[in-house]
Amino acid sequence: MLVSLKWLNEFIDVDLPTEELVDRLDLTGTAVESVKKLGEAMEGIVVGQIVEKNRHPDADKLWVTVVDVGFDEFRSIVCGAQNFEAGDKVPVALPGATLPGGITIKKTKLRGVTSEGMNCSAAELGLAGDSSGLLILPEDAPVGMPFAEYHGSADTVLELEITPNRPDCLSMLGVAREIGAILDRPYRTPGAVPSETGAPAADEVRVAIDDPDLCPRYTARLIRGVKVGPSPEWLVERITASGARPVNNVVDITNYVLFELGQPLHAFDAATLGRDGDGKIAISVRRASAGEKLTTLDGVERALTESDLVIADPKGAVALAGVMGGADTEVSDETVDVLLESAAFASASTSRTSRSLGLISEASMRFERGVDRTGNVTASDEAAALIAQIAGGEVAPGVVDAYPVPYESVTRELRMARLNAVLGTTISPEEATAILKRLGAEVEGGPHLLSVTPPSFRPDLEREIDLVEEVVRVWGMERVPSTLPAGRGRIGGLTPEQRWRERAGESLRACGLNETMTYAFVDPADHERIGHALEEGEVLVELLNPMSAEQAVMRRSLLPGLLRSVSFNQRRGVENVHLYEIGSVFQTTDGRKQPKEHTRITGVLAGAWHPAAWNAPAVPLDIFDGKGVLENLARELGVERLGVREAARPWLQPGRSAEVVIGKNVIGWLGEVYAPVLETFDAQGPVTAFELDMAALAREARGVRELTDVPRHPAVELDVAIVVDEDVTALRIEQSMRSAGGKLLDNVRLFDVYRGKGVPEGRKSMAYALSYRAPDRTLTAEEVEGVHAKLVRKVTSAVGGELRG
Amino acid sequence: MTVIDELHAMRDEALAAIEQAGDLAALDDVRVKFLGKKGSLTQILRGLGALPADERPAVGKVSNEVRAALEAAIDARNSELSAVALDARIAAEAVDVTLPGRAHPVGTRHLIERITAEISEIFIGLGYRIAEGPEVELDYYNFTALNTPPDHPARSLADTFYVKDLSGDVAAVTGESDVLLRTHTSPVQVRTMEREQPPIYVLAPGKVYRRDIPDPSHLPQFTQVEGLVVDEGITFGDLKGTLEHFVCEMFGADRRTRFRPHFFPFTEPSAEVDVSCGICGGVGCRFCKGTGWLEILGCGMVDPNVFGFVGIDTERYTGFAFGMGVERIAALKYNIPDLRMLLEGDMRFLRQF
Repeated sequence: MLVSLKWLNEFIDVDLPTEELVDRLDLTGTAVESVKKLGEAMEGIVVGQIVEKNRHPDADKLWVTVVDVGFDEFRSIVCGAQNFEAGDKVPVALPGATLPGGITIKKTKLRGVTSEGMNCSAAELGLAGDSSGLLILPEDAPVGMPFAEYHGSADTVLELEITPNRPDCLSMLGVAREIGAILDRPYRTPGAVPSETGAPAADEVRVAIDDPDLCPRYTARLIRGVKVGPSPEWLVERITASGARPVNNVVDITNYVLFELGQPLHAFDAATLGRDGDGKIAISVRRASAGEKLTTLDGVERALTESDLVIADPKGAVALAGVMGGADTEVSDETVDVLLESAAFASASTSRTSRSLGLISEASMRFERGVDRTGNVTASDEAAALIAQIAGGEVAPGVVDAYPVPYESVTRELRMARLNAVLGTTISPEEATAILKRLGAEVEGGPHLLSVTPPSFRPDLEREIDLVEEVVRVWGMERVPSTLPAGRGRIGGLTPEQRWRERAGESLRACGLNETMTYAFVDPADHERIGHALEEGEVLVELLNPMSAEQAVMRRSLLPGLLRSVSFNQRRGVENVHLYEIGSVFQTTDGRKQPKEHTRITGVLAGAWHPAAWNAPAVPLDIFDGKGVLENLARELGVERLGVREAARPWLQPGRSAEVVIGKNVIGWLGEVYAPVLETFDAQGPVTAFELDMAALAREARGVRELTDVPRHPAVELDVAIVVDEDVTALRIEQSMRSAGGKLLDNVRLFDVYRGKGVPEGRKSMAYALSYRAPDRTLTAEEVEGVHAKLVRKVTSAVGGELRG
Repeated sequence: MTVIDELHAMRDEALAAIEQAGDLAALDDVRVKFLGKKGSLTQILRGLGALPADERPAVGKVSNEVRAALEAAIDARNSELSAVALDARIAAEAVDVTLPGRAHPVGTRHLIERITAEISEIFIGLGYRIAEGPEVELDYYNFTALNTPPDHPARSLADTFYVKDLSGDVAAVTGESDVLLRTHTSPVQVRTMEREQPPIYVLAPGKVYRRDIPDPSHLPQFTQVEGLVVDEGITFGDLKGTLEHFVCEMFGADRRTRFRPHFFPFTEPSAEVDVSCGICGGVGCRFCKGTGWLEILGCGMVDPNVFGFVGIDTERYTGFAFGMGVERIAALKYNIPDLRMLLEGDMRFLRQF
């Protein structure tokens, strides 16, 4: 809501400095979003007097003027206007001035003659009026005076944030009332009454409200014989300062009264409205019929439904009640008689219609918050009087007033004990009473119980708590003493799953992964790109109103987002990328209302852990770096049974692809992302990635660990290299060693995998360091050799291998 | 030449050789040559048996003296040579300690998660638990039960992302739906109050969504932390005290707070909270747009209508709720020039925190 202080001063004397007013408004619930000094836009524009007028030597239509701009300064200004003589006073824009249209004046040459400024027309200054020539000022205009000051256009406009519960503040009168309440000073209520002539309005107009629930009151006035044309300057200025565009005098007046009193009005061209058989204009307020169409003022044809309320004549809908008028019945230059609507429409239906059609107007915004229907006639009178005065019409006697649901005031109780208990204050009944009275309420009773009757313009004061809020708002939140809750029944902390999630993140960071965040809504094509097929019956979680087609569904995996980040880094020359994200994925099936959400922990690794250094070469990251990270994670969470086993995933490179399991339960996957998938994300491989289900991980996590004795006797370490077929897995060899080695085999460490000279094609040599140890004694060489020989025999036969010589 | 002479000659030869040994290996060779099993001393003493018995003690004595002298000389030389060898090794092993260390890169926490954790810690310290809820919410929890019924004007302000409702239900307003991306973490309040009886002290951090075009100061997906307290005797003063404590912990003890009355459908009275500008100290500067204050959160006393939806006795219990945007705090505390950086995953950005 834009509030011109100049205009506001017609309703209330606000003599305190703007900064102080802004503070008072801020601290009582009306946030001031900006303060604009309008005169500033006119800076550098002064009253000048043309002292010489000479023909331009090289241009027939141009004049070279010498202008006195005050303080004994004379400027040579080239000018194209024809409507002036030497001696005239005109507004002059000096170099550096910016005109309201955004043009900045510079010293320049026009056809070879220097011009040090510009003589201005009314239009060039953003003022109403003739733009064909200079704005000639009265003879007494003081030369050199800033034009804004002379013209009186210096003004301060406050942009106020009016919260949805305060429709009463959506007008100059309302803001004046509010300021009057917070500053405790009186305000003035405008209220012109038009002089009426001719046949009574009721002779020519009838109004019927079909659905009083949606329209408790509808008034119509008839103004005959208006001359539609441009508005006078003061009117244009007022509505422009309030944020509206001038249209014509009649429409501008309806907007003026809207801003002044907060009552939306609508003017119909009476000649375009359909009449009943008896010749009367017949207005009905009814629900639209399904499929009914109306072309609104903005030229758009709207298809209506039964939940939309319309103003109709016998032929059909002529306006969307409270939202926007119809194009066919609008006031135009040819309009002679005007039918003026001033009504109240229910907030719910206005809100629904305006949201359904995507039409938000000054009118709909006020109706959906609530308009005080006791003010309908006052606003109609004010507008009719102005139309008669400005557009020259005759106001027909009487207001056609359909008022099926009269306003009834309601008295509410305010318990002082409750007020102070909720606030933690010791506000006295006298203070509370005074504040509520300042706000326009009638207050009776006390000292423990106040009976409060709020004014008709405060529909938001419905309950005791609303009155409590009003009192503290004006009394001052800053005066409420600060305390901490005294309650005893609370224990802070994280749930086990939250704790495990924190620990998992810590573990990944300790491994060198950096936490990131990506969008939860993704491209519907992402899952096809990675080949992440929908499960049986699964459908995508689709947004109805996405920001773009590329962000139209909720993610099912964090991988696509992270691959985008890999690409983002690589395209900026960052090759080493180590990222993880812990976030939700979404899954639904047809017929299901709310999707399921699961928390995933996903990582991507590309490049090396670090760039090559003098003492550490850059080692390219591969699936085993990812596996190492998961092994650390499993250790940190105490998930001893976490393992991986070969398994295909469409987005992973075959042969470098595994699923992560706890026992038999698959909880995620690990591998190197398949090159064709990387290509669709514009990322360079190899990229190692993994994704685990956080809940499954947290379920298996163990905080308690069992202590085993630290070995007290030395181990004997023996090496063995076994040549096996390529398809024999490390897991199989190790399992076979553990079963053959029995209790004495303490540790198995694979230290080399060799293929090449000396090892037949299709086979590999796996070299292990085996350590043998007994918990209670030092093993003898004979004992170890015996066990080791048996182990080698058993393992070679079990895995089809042979000892490498 | 008598045996004793031989011994003396050998001693002199050996002492000279010990003196000349240039390193520990050469010294050991000398030891073996003179004192070893097949060394000179052994050779000489082998001839001892041929001597008359009365000469033997004297020879024996001399040979012991020679052995002792040689052993002492070898030990002394050994110490000398060891010291030299150690010096040489130390000299050879010296490094330039200004060379860079071996890299063990440790990962970083995302700024938003870091701040969220910081906020959580402050409130856990005040006895709050952390509560969570779904990001794809039902209209009921996001709006209706928070005293924002379907036709409430605040609805059109929320810029909600709607999700296709697959259950077959049809929304009252065209283009809207019963299922949506939560616009705040306040629905967690309702879910918590449905599940638990007061006293309730919870903090609900999480992702929220609003239809804002991403620009330097807006993201359609951001993070909110919401707090809820329901207990006997909770006052607006308690809300003030709690948030003033929070501001001092989060921004520093010298920062002031200001409560401005505001409107939220689910609290009454409601307020917005400003913290004094950390750059100008409250005098007004470009950072705070000349006001001296920075808005950081919204709060209020839980509206009795909200208690009505979850069946909490409004005469017995009162409560307060507050909510803040973590990205906003990040922007204020770290002067993030463009919030979009938070969602790009740029390693050069992430590794700064």
